[in-house]
Amino acid sequence: MNRFKLPDLGIGVGLRTVHFGHILSRRPAVDWFEVLSENFMDTRGRPLWVLDQVAERYPIALHGVSMSIGGTDPLDREYLRKLKALAARTRAHWVSDHLCWTGVAGRNVHDLLPMPYTEEALRHTAERVRQVSEILERPLVLENPSSYVEFAASSMPEWEFLTRLGEEADCGLLLDVNNVYVSSFNHGFDPRLYIDSIPAGRVVQYHVAGHTNKGTHILDSHSDHAVAEVWELFRRSCRRTGNVATLYEWDEDIPDFEVLHAEALKARAYRDETAAEPVRVARGA
Amino acid sequence: MALELPLDRIQRWMQEVVVHPGTVDEAIASAGADLPPARLADVVLPSRTLAPNERVGIYHGMYLLRMEEALETDYPGLRHFLRPDGFRRLVRDYVGSFPSRSYTLNRLGDHLPEFVLAAPGLRHRGFCHDLARLELAMTEVFDEAETPPLSAEAVAAVPPERWAEVRLRPIAALRLLALRYPVSAYVDSMDGKAHRHARPRRKDAWLAVFRRDYRVQRLELSRPAYDLLSDLAAGRLLGEAVTAAARRRGSGAARETQLYRWFRQWMASGMFMGLEGLEPSTNRL
Repeated sequence: MNRFKLPDLGIGVGLRTVHFGHILSRRPAVDWFEVLSENFMDTRGRPLWVLDQVAERYPIALHGVSMSIGGTDPLDREYLRKLKALAARTRAHWVSDHLCWTGVAGRNVHDLLPMPYTEEALRHTAERVRQVSEILERPLVLENPSSYVEFAASSMPEWEFLTRLGEEADCGLLLDVNNVYVSSFNHGFDPRLYIDSIPAGRVVQYHVAGHTNKGTHILDSHSDHAVAEVWELFRRSCRRTGNVATLYEWDEDIPDFEVLHAEALKARAYRDETAAEPVRVARGA
Repeated sequence: MALELPLDRIQRWMQEVVVHPGTVDEAIASAGADLPPARLADVVLPSRTLAPNERVGIYHGMYLLRMEEALETDYPGLRHFLRPDGFRRLVRDYVGSFPSRSYTLNRLGDHLPEFVLAAPGLRHRGFCHDLARLELAMTEVFDEAETPPLSAEAVAAVPPERWAEVRLRPIAALRLLALRYPVSAYVDSMDGKAHRHARPRRKDAWLAVFRRDYRVQRLELSRPAYDLLSDLAAGRLLGEAVTAAARRRGSGAARETQLYRWFRQWMASGMFMGLEGLEPSTNRL
Protein backbone atom coordinates (compact mmCIF):
# COMPACT_ATOMS: atom_id res chain seq x y z
CA MET A 1 0.00 0.00 0.00
CA ASN A 2 1.24 3.48 -0.87
CA ARG A 3 1.84 6.03 1.87
CA PHE A 4 -1.34 7.91 0.91
CA LYS A 5 -3.48 4.77 1.36
CA LEU A 6 -4.97 5.29 -2.08
CA PRO A 7 -6.57 2.03 -3.23
CA ASP A 8 -5.40 -0.40 -5.87
CA LEU A 9 -8.29 0.08 -8.29
CA GLY A 10 -7.19 -2.84 -10.46
CA ILE A 11 -6.71 -2.56 -14.21
CA GLY A 12 -8.28 0.34 -16.05
CA VAL A 13 -8.33 2.12 -19.38
CA GLY A 14 -8.72 5.72 -20.49
CA LEU A 15 -12.20 7.03 -21.19
CA ARG A 16 -12.14 7.99 -24.87
CA THR A 17 -14.87 9.47 -27.07
CA VAL A 18 -14.77 6.64 -29.60
CA HIS A 19 -15.76 4.18 -26.87
CA PHE A 20 -18.61 6.19 -25.30
CA GLY A 21 -21.34 4.18 -27.02
CA HIS A 22 -19.76 0.82 -26.20
CA ILE A 23 -19.22 1.68 -22.55
CA LEU A 24 -22.75 2.96 -21.99
CA SER A 25 -24.48 0.14 -23.84
CA ARG A 26 -22.29 -2.83 -22.85
CA ARG A 27 -21.07 -1.77 -19.43
CA PRO A 28 -17.77 -3.63 -19.87
CA ALA A 29 -16.13 -5.28 -16.86
CA VAL A 30 -13.35 -2.73 -16.52
CA ASP A 31 -12.08 -2.05 -13.02
CA TRP A 32 -11.83 1.73 -13.43
CA PHE A 33 -11.45 4.60 -15.90
CA GLU A 34 -8.89 7.35 -16.17
CA VAL A 35 -10.38 10.61 -17.42
CA LEU A 36 -8.46 13.37 -19.21
CA SER A 37 -9.43 16.33 -17.05
CA GLU A 38 -9.22 19.07 -19.68
CA ASN A 39 -11.62 17.26 -22.01
CA PHE A 40 -14.43 17.65 -19.50
CA MET A 41 -13.72 20.87 -17.64
CA ASP A 42 -15.49 23.22 -20.02
CA THR A 43 -18.09 21.16 -21.80
CA ARG A 44 -21.65 20.98 -20.55
CA GLY A 45 -22.78 18.79 -23.43
CA ARG A 46 -22.73 15.08 -24.17
CA PRO A 47 -19.15 14.39 -22.96
CA LEU A 48 -20.08 15.56 -19.47
CA TRP A 49 -23.32 13.59 -19.55
CA VAL A 50 -21.36 10.45 -20.51
CA LEU A 51 -18.81 11.11 -17.79
CA ASP A 52 -21.57 11.38 -15.20
CA GLN A 53 -22.95 8.01 -16.31
CA VAL A 54 -19.52 6.40 -16.20
CA ALA A 55 -18.70 7.90 -12.81
CA GLU A 56 -21.92 6.42 -11.44
CA ARG A 57 -20.76 2.93 -12.36
CA TYR A 58 -16.97 2.92 -12.25
CA PRO A 59 -14.19 4.34 -10.08
CA ILE A 60 -12.51 7.35 -11.67
CA ALA A 61 -9.08 8.98 -11.52
CA LEU A 62 -8.43 12.34 -13.19
CA HIS A 63 -5.34 12.80 -15.34
CA GLY A 64 -4.35 16.19 -16.69
CA VAL A 65 -1.97 17.60 -19.29
CA SER A 66 -2.11 21.37 -18.71
CA MET A 67 -1.24 22.06 -15.08
CA SER A 68 2.30 23.06 -16.09
CA ILE A 69 3.58 22.27 -12.63
CA GLY A 70 7.15 23.06 -13.66
CA GLY A 71 6.24 26.22 -15.55
CA THR A 72 7.39 29.68 -14.53
CA ASP A 73 4.07 31.42 -15.21
CA PRO A 74 1.84 31.80 -12.15
CA LEU A 75 -0.39 28.84 -11.41
CA ASP A 76 -3.72 29.08 -13.24
CA ARG A 77 -6.16 29.40 -10.33
CA GLU A 78 -9.23 29.19 -12.55
CA TYR A 79 -7.95 25.94 -14.02
CA LEU A 80 -7.36 24.53 -10.54
CA ARG A 81 -10.81 25.63 -9.38
CA LYS A 82 -12.43 23.78 -12.29
CA LEU A 83 -10.19 20.76 -11.75
CA LYS A 84 -11.21 20.57 -8.12
CA ALA A 85 -14.89 20.83 -9.07
CA LEU A 86 -14.52 18.05 -11.64
CA ALA A 87 -12.77 15.83 -9.08
CA ALA A 88 -15.67 16.38 -6.68
CA ARG A 89 -18.26 15.74 -9.40
CA THR A 90 -16.69 12.43 -10.44
CA ARG A 91 -15.62 11.45 -6.89
CA ALA A 92 -12.15 10.93 -8.35
CA HIS A 93 -9.80 8.82 -6.26
CA TRP A 94 -6.86 11.03 -7.19
CA VAL A 95 -5.76 13.80 -9.53
CA SER A 96 -2.59 13.46 -11.55
CA ASP A 97 -0.58 15.48 -14.05
CA HIS A 98 2.95 15.43 -15.44
CA LEU A 99 6.35 16.59 -14.26
CA CYS A 100 6.77 19.11 -17.06
CA TRP A 101 5.86 22.59 -18.21
CA THR A 102 3.44 23.36 -21.04
CA GLY A 103 4.04 27.01 -21.89
CA VAL A 104 5.12 30.42 -20.63
CA ALA A 105 4.15 34.05 -21.17
CA GLY A 106 0.48 33.12 -21.17
CA ARG A 107 0.77 30.59 -23.98
CA ASN A 108 0.10 26.89 -23.95
CA VAL A 109 1.93 24.81 -26.55
CA HIS A 110 0.03 21.70 -25.39
CA ASP A 111 3.10 19.56 -25.07
CA LEU A 112 4.77 18.01 -22.05
CA LEU A 113 7.99 19.97 -22.24
CA PRO A 114 11.07 18.75 -20.37
CA MET A 115 12.48 20.22 -17.18
CA PRO A 116 16.15 20.75 -16.40
CA TYR A 117 16.80 18.75 -13.25
CA THR A 118 18.47 21.45 -11.22
CA GLU A 119 18.23 22.60 -7.60
CA GLU A 120 16.41 25.72 -8.79
CA ALA A 121 13.85 23.67 -10.72
CA LEU A 122 13.37 21.36 -7.74
CA ARG A 123 12.69 24.22 -5.30
CA HIS A 124 10.39 25.90 -7.80
CA THR A 125 8.40 22.75 -8.60
CA ALA A 126 8.13 21.61 -4.98
CA GLU A 127 6.65 24.94 -3.95
CA ARG A 128 4.06 24.73 -6.73
CA VAL A 129 3.18 21.13 -5.86
CA ARG A 130 2.56 22.19 -2.27
CA GLN A 131 0.31 25.03 -3.45
CA VAL A 132 -1.67 22.80 -5.80
CA SER A 133 -2.12 20.10 -3.16
CA GLU A 134 -3.44 22.73 -0.77
CA ILE A 135 -5.88 24.09 -3.33
CA LEU A 136 -7.08 20.65 -4.38
CA GLU A 137 -7.14 19.48 -0.75
CA ARG A 138 -5.49 16.23 -1.71
CA PRO A 139 -1.95 15.12 -2.57
CA LEU A 140 -1.09 15.80 -6.18
CA VAL A 141 0.10 12.76 -8.15
CA LEU A 142 2.80 13.42 -10.76
CA GLU A 143 3.78 11.29 -13.73
CA ASN A 144 7.34 10.87 -14.93
CA PRO A 145 7.42 12.24 -18.49
CA SER A 146 8.97 10.79 -21.61
CA SER A 147 11.47 13.23 -23.05
CA TYR A 148 13.66 13.85 -26.07
CA VAL A 149 15.94 16.55 -24.68
CA GLU A 150 18.45 16.49 -21.82
CA PHE A 151 19.75 19.72 -20.39
CA ALA A 152 23.45 20.13 -19.76
CA ALA A 153 22.67 22.02 -16.57
CA SER A 154 20.87 19.07 -14.95
CA SER A 155 22.65 18.14 -11.75
CA MET A 156 20.72 14.97 -10.96
CA PRO A 157 18.94 12.20 -12.89
CA GLU A 158 15.19 12.28 -13.28
CA TRP A 159 14.56 9.55 -10.72
CA GLU A 160 16.49 11.49 -8.07
CA PHE A 161 14.55 14.66 -8.94
CA LEU A 162 11.27 12.78 -8.53
CA THR A 163 12.41 11.19 -5.27
CA ARG A 164 13.42 14.52 -3.76
CA LEU A 165 10.30 16.20 -5.10
CA GLY A 166 8.22 13.55 -3.34
CA GLU A 167 10.06 14.15 -0.10
CA GLU A 168 9.90 17.94 -0.27
CA ALA A 169 6.31 18.31 -1.51
CA ASP A 170 4.80 14.99 -0.37
CA CYS A 171 3.31 14.16 -3.75
CA GLY A 172 2.36 10.78 -5.15
CA LEU A 173 3.87 9.24 -8.26
CA LEU A 174 2.22 7.92 -11.37
CA LEU A 175 4.96 5.70 -12.70
CA ASP A 176 4.75 5.34 -16.48
CA VAL A 177 6.98 2.38 -17.25
CA ASN A 178 6.78 3.05 -20.98
CA ASN A 179 8.03 6.60 -20.39
CA VAL A 180 10.94 5.17 -18.39
CA TYR A 181 11.76 2.90 -21.32
CA VAL A 182 11.38 5.67 -23.92
CA SER A 183 13.58 8.10 -22.01
CA SER A 184 16.15 5.42 -21.24
CA PHE A 185 16.51 4.77 -24.98
CA ASN A 186 16.60 8.49 -25.83
CA HIS A 187 19.06 9.44 -23.09
CA GLY A 188 21.04 6.24 -22.70
CA PHE A 189 20.46 5.25 -19.08
CA ASP A 190 19.57 1.88 -17.55
CA PRO A 191 15.77 1.76 -17.07
CA ARG A 192 16.16 -0.85 -14.33
CA LEU A 193 18.19 1.62 -12.28
CA TYR A 194 15.35 4.15 -12.69
CA ILE A 195 12.71 1.63 -11.60
CA ASP A 196 14.80 0.45 -8.63
CA SER A 197 15.43 4.02 -7.47
CA ILE A 198 11.84 5.24 -7.36
CA PRO A 199 10.37 5.43 -3.83
CA ALA A 200 7.94 2.52 -3.94
CA GLY A 201 5.65 3.91 -1.24
CA ARG A 202 4.80 6.95 -3.34
CA VAL A 203 3.63 5.05 -6.42
CA VAL A 204 -0.17 5.20 -6.54
CA GLN A 205 -0.67 4.37 -10.22
CA TYR A 206 1.05 2.81 -13.22
CA HIS A 207 0.81 3.63 -16.89
CA VAL A 208 1.70 1.04 -19.51
CA ALA A 209 1.65 1.98 -23.22
CA GLY A 210 3.04 1.37 -26.65
CA HIS A 211 5.53 3.60 -28.44
CA THR A 212 7.05 4.19 -31.87
CA ASN A 213 10.71 3.39 -32.42
CA LYS A 214 12.10 5.77 -35.04
CA GLY A 215 15.56 4.23 -34.98
CA THR A 216 17.38 7.30 -33.73
CA HIS A 217 14.88 7.88 -30.94
CA ILE A 218 11.61 6.56 -29.54
CA LEU A 219 8.40 8.55 -29.60
CA ASP A 220 5.91 8.10 -26.79
CA SER A 221 3.02 7.69 -29.23
CA HIS A 222 0.54 5.58 -27.21
CA SER A 223 -0.41 4.01 -30.50
CA ASP A 224 0.36 0.34 -30.18
CA HIS A 225 0.80 -2.72 -28.00
CA ALA A 226 3.48 -2.48 -25.33
CA VAL A 227 6.77 -4.22 -26.09
CA ALA A 228 8.05 -7.05 -23.88
CA GLU A 229 10.75 -4.86 -22.33
CA VAL A 230 8.12 -2.44 -21.06
CA TRP A 231 6.09 -5.26 -19.53
CA GLU A 232 9.23 -6.56 -17.84
CA LEU A 233 9.87 -3.14 -16.32
CA PHE A 234 6.28 -3.20 -15.08
CA ARG A 235 6.83 -6.61 -13.48
CA ARG A 236 10.07 -5.44 -11.89
CA SER A 237 8.39 -2.37 -10.42
CA CYS A 238 5.34 -4.29 -9.15
CA ARG A 239 7.66 -6.50 -7.13
CA ARG A 240 8.77 -3.36 -5.29
CA THR A 241 5.45 -1.58 -4.95
CA GLY A 242 3.00 -4.45 -4.70
CA ASN A 243 -0.11 -4.18 -6.80
CA VAL A 244 -1.00 -0.61 -7.70
CA ALA A 245 -3.82 0.72 -9.90
CA THR A 246 -2.71 0.14 -13.48
CA LEU A 247 -3.87 1.79 -16.68
CA TYR A 248 -3.18 0.97 -20.30
CA GLU A 249 -2.85 4.10 -22.45
CA TRP A 250 -3.84 4.07 -26.12
CA ASP A 251 -4.44 7.49 -27.64
CA GLU A 252 -3.67 7.26 -31.35
CA ASP A 253 -5.25 4.84 -33.82
CA ILE A 254 -7.43 3.75 -30.92
CA PRO A 255 -8.68 0.20 -31.47
CA ASP A 256 -12.04 -1.30 -30.57
CA PHE A 257 -12.72 -1.34 -26.88
CA GLU A 258 -12.26 -5.11 -26.59
CA VAL A 259 -8.76 -4.91 -28.09
CA LEU A 260 -7.78 -2.10 -25.74
CA HIS A 261 -9.21 -3.89 -22.73
CA ALA A 262 -7.48 -7.14 -23.65
CA GLU A 263 -4.16 -5.30 -23.85
CA ALA A 264 -4.80 -3.76 -20.45
CA LEU A 265 -5.65 -7.14 -18.95
CA LYS A 266 -2.20 -8.44 -19.91
CA ALA A 267 -1.06 -6.48 -16.86
CA ARG A 268 -2.55 -9.20 -14.68
CA ALA A 269 0.20 -11.60 -15.67
CA TYR A 270 2.89 -9.14 -14.60
CA ARG A 271 1.49 -7.74 -11.39
CA ASP A 272 2.90 -8.94 -8.12
CA GLU A 273 1.83 -12.56 -7.84
CA THR A 274 2.25 -12.49 -4.06
CA ALA A 275 0.08 -9.45 -3.47
CA ALA A 276 -3.59 -9.49 -2.62
CA GLU A 277 -6.30 -9.01 -5.23
CA PRO A 278 -7.28 -5.40 -5.84
CA VAL A 279 -9.80 -3.81 -3.57
CA ARG A 280 -13.06 -3.73 -5.47
CA VAL A 281 -14.26 -0.18 -5.35
CA ALA A 282 -17.71 0.28 -6.79
CA ARG A 283 -17.40 4.02 -7.37
CA GLY A 284 -15.40 7.05 -6.42
CA ALA A 285 -14.33 8.05 -2.94
CA MET B 1 30.84 23.74 -20.64
CA ALA B 2 27.28 23.66 -19.30
CA LEU B 3 25.45 26.96 -19.45
CA GLU B 4 23.03 27.14 -16.55
CA LEU B 5 20.32 29.53 -17.62
CA PRO B 6 17.63 30.46 -15.11
CA LEU B 7 14.55 28.26 -15.44
CA ASP B 8 12.33 31.00 -16.86
CA ARG B 9 14.91 31.86 -19.51
CA ILE B 10 15.28 28.24 -20.60
CA GLN B 11 11.53 27.97 -20.91
CA ARG B 12 11.17 31.22 -22.86
CA TRP B 13 13.92 30.11 -25.23
CA MET B 14 12.55 26.64 -25.75
CA GLN B 15 9.01 27.86 -26.34
CA GLU B 16 10.22 30.38 -28.90
CA VAL B 17 11.98 27.57 -30.75
CA VAL B 18 9.09 25.11 -30.51
CA VAL B 19 6.41 27.47 -31.88
CA HIS B 20 8.56 28.98 -34.67
CA PRO B 21 6.92 28.32 -38.07
CA GLY B 22 10.19 27.74 -39.95
CA THR B 23 12.72 24.93 -39.75
CA VAL B 24 14.24 24.08 -36.40
CA ASP B 25 17.53 25.69 -37.36
CA GLU B 26 15.73 28.88 -38.35
CA ALA B 27 13.90 28.66 -35.02
CA ILE B 28 17.12 28.28 -33.05
CA ALA B 29 18.67 31.20 -34.93
CA SER B 30 15.56 33.29 -34.33
CA ALA B 31 15.68 32.63 -30.58
CA GLY B 32 19.30 33.77 -30.42
CA ALA B 33 18.58 36.65 -28.05
CA ASP B 34 18.06 34.17 -25.23
CA LEU B 35 20.62 31.63 -26.39
CA PRO B 36 23.15 32.17 -29.19
CA PRO B 37 22.98 29.18 -31.58
CA ALA B 38 26.71 28.59 -31.14
CA ARG B 39 26.10 27.80 -27.47
CA LEU B 40 23.21 25.37 -28.03
CA ALA B 41 25.35 22.37 -27.07
CA ASP B 42 26.12 24.08 -23.74
CA VAL B 43 22.41 23.90 -22.90
CA VAL B 44 21.08 20.83 -24.71
CA LEU B 45 23.13 17.64 -24.69
CA PRO B 46 23.48 15.45 -27.76
CA SER B 47 22.34 11.84 -27.58
CA ARG B 48 24.12 8.82 -29.07
CA THR B 49 22.21 9.37 -32.29
CA LEU B 50 20.92 12.95 -32.36
CA ALA B 51 22.56 16.37 -32.25
CA PRO B 52 21.12 19.00 -29.88
CA ASN B 53 19.21 20.77 -32.67
CA GLU B 54 17.70 17.45 -33.80
CA ARG B 55 16.53 16.69 -30.28
CA VAL B 56 14.86 20.08 -29.88
CA GLY B 57 13.52 19.57 -33.40
CA ILE B 58 11.35 16.67 -32.19
CA TYR B 59 9.30 19.08 -30.06
CA HIS B 60 9.38 21.70 -32.80
CA GLY B 61 8.09 19.24 -35.37
CA MET B 62 5.23 18.05 -33.20
CA TYR B 63 3.86 21.50 -32.36
CA LEU B 64 2.18 22.35 -35.64
CA LEU B 65 1.01 18.77 -36.12
CA ARG B 66 -0.76 18.97 -32.77
CA MET B 67 -2.36 22.31 -33.61
CA GLU B 68 -3.47 21.00 -36.99
CA GLU B 69 -4.95 17.88 -35.43
CA ALA B 70 -6.92 19.95 -32.92
CA LEU B 71 -8.27 22.32 -35.55
CA GLU B 72 -9.19 19.66 -38.08
CA THR B 73 -11.39 18.09 -35.41
CA ASP B 74 -13.40 21.31 -35.22
CA TYR B 75 -13.14 22.33 -38.87
CA PRO B 76 -13.38 19.14 -40.96
CA GLY B 77 -15.30 20.91 -43.73
CA LEU B 78 -12.80 23.73 -44.04
CA ARG B 79 -9.95 21.26 -44.11
CA HIS B 80 -11.70 19.27 -46.80
CA PHE B 81 -12.32 22.37 -48.88
CA LEU B 82 -8.77 23.71 -48.56
CA ARG B 83 -7.17 20.25 -48.94
CA PRO B 84 -4.55 19.13 -46.39
CA ASP B 85 -1.74 21.39 -47.64
CA GLY B 86 -3.91 24.50 -47.75
CA PHE B 87 -5.34 23.78 -44.33
CA ARG B 88 -1.85 23.20 -42.92
CA ARG B 89 -0.73 26.61 -44.18
CA LEU B 90 -3.82 28.22 -42.70
CA VAL B 91 -3.16 26.55 -39.33
CA ARG B 92 0.48 27.64 -39.34
CA ASP B 93 -0.49 31.26 -39.98
CA TYR B 94 -3.44 31.14 -37.60
CA VAL B 95 -1.59 29.85 -34.52
CA GLY B 96 1.07 32.48 -35.19
CA SER B 97 -1.62 35.13 -34.71
CA PHE B 98 -3.89 33.33 -32.25
CA PRO B 99 -1.79 30.89 -30.20
CA SER B 100 -3.50 28.84 -27.53
CA ARG B 101 -3.78 30.68 -24.25
CA SER B 102 -6.05 28.14 -22.63
CA TYR B 103 -5.59 24.87 -20.79
CA THR B 104 -7.84 23.25 -23.38
CA LEU B 105 -7.39 22.82 -27.13
CA ASN B 106 -11.15 22.80 -27.52
CA ARG B 107 -11.22 26.58 -27.84
CA LEU B 108 -8.13 26.91 -30.05
CA GLY B 109 -10.26 27.58 -33.13
CA ASP B 110 -12.49 30.29 -31.67
CA HIS B 111 -10.86 33.04 -33.75
CA LEU B 112 -10.47 31.08 -36.96
CA PRO B 113 -13.50 32.60 -38.75
CA GLU B 114 -12.24 36.15 -38.19
CA PHE B 115 -8.71 35.08 -39.15
CA VAL B 116 -9.96 33.61 -42.41
CA LEU B 117 -11.15 37.09 -43.45
CA ALA B 118 -7.54 38.29 -43.46
CA ALA B 119 -5.55 35.09 -44.01
CA PRO B 120 -2.89 35.56 -46.68
CA GLY B 121 -3.33 33.83 -50.02
CA LEU B 122 -6.73 32.28 -49.35
CA ARG B 123 -8.99 31.61 -52.34
CA HIS B 124 -12.79 31.65 -52.00
CA ARG B 125 -12.38 33.68 -48.84
CA GLY B 126 -16.10 34.42 -48.40
CA PHE B 127 -17.02 30.76 -48.69
CA CYS B 128 -14.26 29.76 -46.25
CA HIS B 129 -15.40 32.41 -43.81
CA ASP B 130 -18.99 31.18 -43.81
CA LEU B 131 -17.90 27.55 -43.59
CA ALA B 132 -15.69 28.38 -40.59
CA ARG B 133 -18.53 30.31 -38.94
CA LEU B 134 -20.84 27.35 -39.34
CA GLU B 135 -18.31 24.85 -37.98
CA LEU B 136 -17.51 27.09 -35.03
CA ALA B 137 -21.22 27.40 -34.25
CA MET B 138 -21.49 23.60 -34.33
CA THR B 139 -18.65 23.15 -31.84
CA GLU B 140 -20.08 25.82 -29.54
CA VAL B 141 -23.50 24.19 -29.62
CA PHE B 142 -21.91 20.79 -28.96
CA ASP B 143 -20.44 22.01 -25.67
CA GLU B 144 -23.34 24.09 -24.40
CA ALA B 145 -25.48 23.01 -21.47
CA GLU B 146 -28.32 20.60 -22.14
CA THR B 147 -31.60 22.19 -21.11
CA PRO B 148 -35.08 20.66 -21.17
CA PRO B 149 -37.16 22.30 -23.89
CA LEU B 150 -40.34 24.22 -23.24
CA SER B 151 -43.11 21.72 -22.67
CA ALA B 152 -46.38 21.60 -24.58
CA GLU B 153 -48.17 22.00 -21.25
CA ALA B 154 -46.34 25.24 -20.50
CA VAL B 155 -47.27 26.59 -23.93
CA ALA B 156 -50.90 25.49 -23.56
CA ALA B 157 -51.10 27.18 -20.17
CA VAL B 158 -50.54 30.66 -21.64
CA PRO B 159 -53.87 32.51 -21.99
CA PRO B 160 -54.28 33.61 -25.63
CA GLU B 161 -54.58 37.28 -24.64
CA ARG B 162 -51.21 37.14 -22.84
CA TRP B 163 -49.04 35.87 -25.67
CA ALA B 164 -48.09 39.33 -26.86
CA GLU B 165 -46.47 40.07 -23.46
CA VAL B 166 -44.42 36.88 -23.41
CA ARG B 167 -40.69 36.60 -24.01
CA LEU B 168 -39.28 33.23 -25.07
CA ARG B 169 -36.04 32.09 -23.47
CA PRO B 170 -33.86 30.22 -26.00
CA ILE B 171 -31.83 27.16 -25.07
CA ALA B 172 -28.11 27.82 -24.62
CA ALA B 173 -27.34 25.45 -27.49
CA LEU B 174 -28.79 27.64 -30.24
CA ARG B 175 -26.94 29.75 -32.79
CA LEU B 176 -28.46 31.68 -35.70
CA LEU B 177 -26.41 32.38 -38.80
CA ALA B 178 -27.00 34.62 -41.79
CA LEU B 179 -24.73 33.27 -44.52
CA ARG B 180 -23.74 34.37 -48.00
CA TYR B 181 -22.86 30.89 -49.19
CA PRO B 182 -24.74 27.56 -48.89
CA VAL B 183 -22.15 26.04 -46.59
CA SER B 184 -24.63 23.84 -44.74
CA ALA B 185 -25.19 21.98 -48.01
CA TYR B 186 -21.41 21.66 -48.31
CA VAL B 187 -21.20 20.05 -44.88
CA ASP B 188 -24.03 17.70 -45.85
CA SER B 189 -22.21 16.74 -49.03
CA MET B 190 -19.23 15.54 -47.01
CA ASP B 191 -21.31 12.60 -45.80
CA GLY B 192 -20.93 9.48 -47.87
CA LYS B 193 -18.13 8.45 -50.13
CA ALA B 194 -18.94 10.48 -53.22
CA HIS B 195 -17.98 13.86 -51.73
CA ARG B 196 -19.61 15.67 -54.64
CA HIS B 197 -19.67 19.32 -53.84
CA ALA B 198 -21.30 22.19 -55.63
CA ARG B 199 -19.02 25.04 -56.61
CA PRO B 200 -18.83 27.73 -53.91
CA ARG B 201 -21.24 30.19 -55.54
CA ARG B 202 -22.91 33.05 -53.72
CA LYS B 203 -26.36 32.23 -52.43
CA ASP B 204 -27.77 33.77 -49.27
CA ALA B 205 -28.82 31.28 -46.62
CA TRP B 206 -30.15 31.46 -43.06
CA LEU B 207 -29.60 28.76 -40.55
CA ALA B 208 -30.39 27.69 -37.01
CA VAL B 209 -27.76 25.46 -35.39
CA PHE B 210 -29.05 23.82 -32.24
CA ARG B 211 -28.78 20.70 -30.15
CA ARG B 212 -31.55 18.34 -29.18
CA ASP B 213 -30.97 15.23 -27.07
CA TYR B 214 -27.20 15.83 -27.36
CA ARG B 215 -27.29 15.83 -31.19
CA VAL B 216 -26.20 18.94 -33.09
CA GLN B 217 -28.75 19.78 -35.77
CA ARG B 218 -29.13 22.38 -38.49
CA LEU B 219 -32.38 23.90 -39.74
CA GLU B 220 -32.56 25.98 -42.93
CA LEU B 221 -34.64 29.11 -42.47
CA SER B 222 -36.18 31.66 -44.80
CA ARG B 223 -35.06 35.26 -44.33
CA PRO B 224 -38.30 36.31 -42.55
CA ALA B 225 -38.17 33.25 -40.31
CA TYR B 226 -34.56 34.01 -39.45
CA ASP B 227 -35.41 37.62 -38.58
CA LEU B 228 -38.30 36.59 -36.34
CA LEU B 229 -36.32 33.84 -34.64
CA SER B 230 -33.45 36.26 -34.06
CA ASP B 231 -35.81 38.75 -32.43
CA LEU B 232 -37.30 36.08 -30.20
CA ALA B 233 -33.91 34.66 -29.24
CA ALA B 234 -32.76 38.18 -28.36
CA GLY B 235 -35.62 38.44 -25.84
CA ARG B 236 -37.98 40.71 -27.75
CA LEU B 237 -41.63 40.56 -26.66
CA LEU B 238 -43.51 38.09 -28.80
CA GLY B 239 -46.10 40.70 -29.80
CA GLU B 240 -43.44 43.15 -30.92
CA ALA B 241 -41.49 40.49 -32.78
CA VAL B 242 -44.57 39.26 -34.65
CA THR B 243 -45.57 42.81 -35.54
CA ALA B 244 -42.10 43.47 -36.87
CA ALA B 245 -42.22 40.24 -38.87
CA ALA B 246 -45.59 41.19 -40.34
CA ARG B 247 -44.27 44.57 -41.39
CA ARG B 248 -41.27 42.97 -43.03
CA ARG B 249 -43.44 40.54 -44.94
CA GLY B 250 -46.24 42.90 -45.88
CA SER B 251 -49.01 40.46 -46.98
CA GLY B 252 -51.98 39.06 -44.97
CA ALA B 253 -53.41 35.55 -44.52
CA ALA B 254 -50.39 33.57 -45.67
CA ARG B 255 -48.24 35.46 -43.19
CA GLU B 256 -50.28 34.32 -40.22
CA THR B 257 -50.18 30.71 -41.39
CA GLN B 258 -46.44 30.91 -41.82
CA LEU B 259 -45.91 32.38 -38.40
CA TYR B 260 -47.91 29.59 -36.84
CA ARG B 261 -45.99 26.94 -38.77
CA TRP B 262 -42.60 28.38 -37.88
CA PHE B 263 -43.53 28.71 -34.24
CA ARG B 264 -44.71 25.11 -34.08
CA GLN B 265 -41.54 23.88 -35.79
CA TRP B 266 -39.25 25.78 -33.44
CA MET B 267 -41.12 24.52 -30.41
CA ALA B 268 -40.99 20.94 -31.71
CA SER B 269 -37.26 21.36 -32.30
CA GLY B 270 -36.79 22.35 -28.67
CA MET B 271 -35.21 25.75 -29.40
CA PHE B 272 -36.81 27.40 -26.40
CA MET B 273 -36.57 26.46 -22.77
CA GLY B 274 -38.85 28.92 -21.00
CA LEU B 275 -41.34 31.74 -21.01
CA GLU B 276 -40.88 35.04 -19.28
CA GLY B 277 -43.36 37.76 -18.45
CA LEU B 278 -46.14 35.61 -17.02
CA GLU B 279 -47.38 34.83 -13.52
CA PRO B 280 -45.19 32.29 -11.67
CA SER B 281 -47.76 29.52 -12.12
CA THR B 282 -47.30 29.52 -15.90
CA ASN B 283 -43.69 30.63 -16.05
CA ARG B 284 -42.26 27.15 -15.95
CA LEU B 285 -39.74 25.26 -18.00
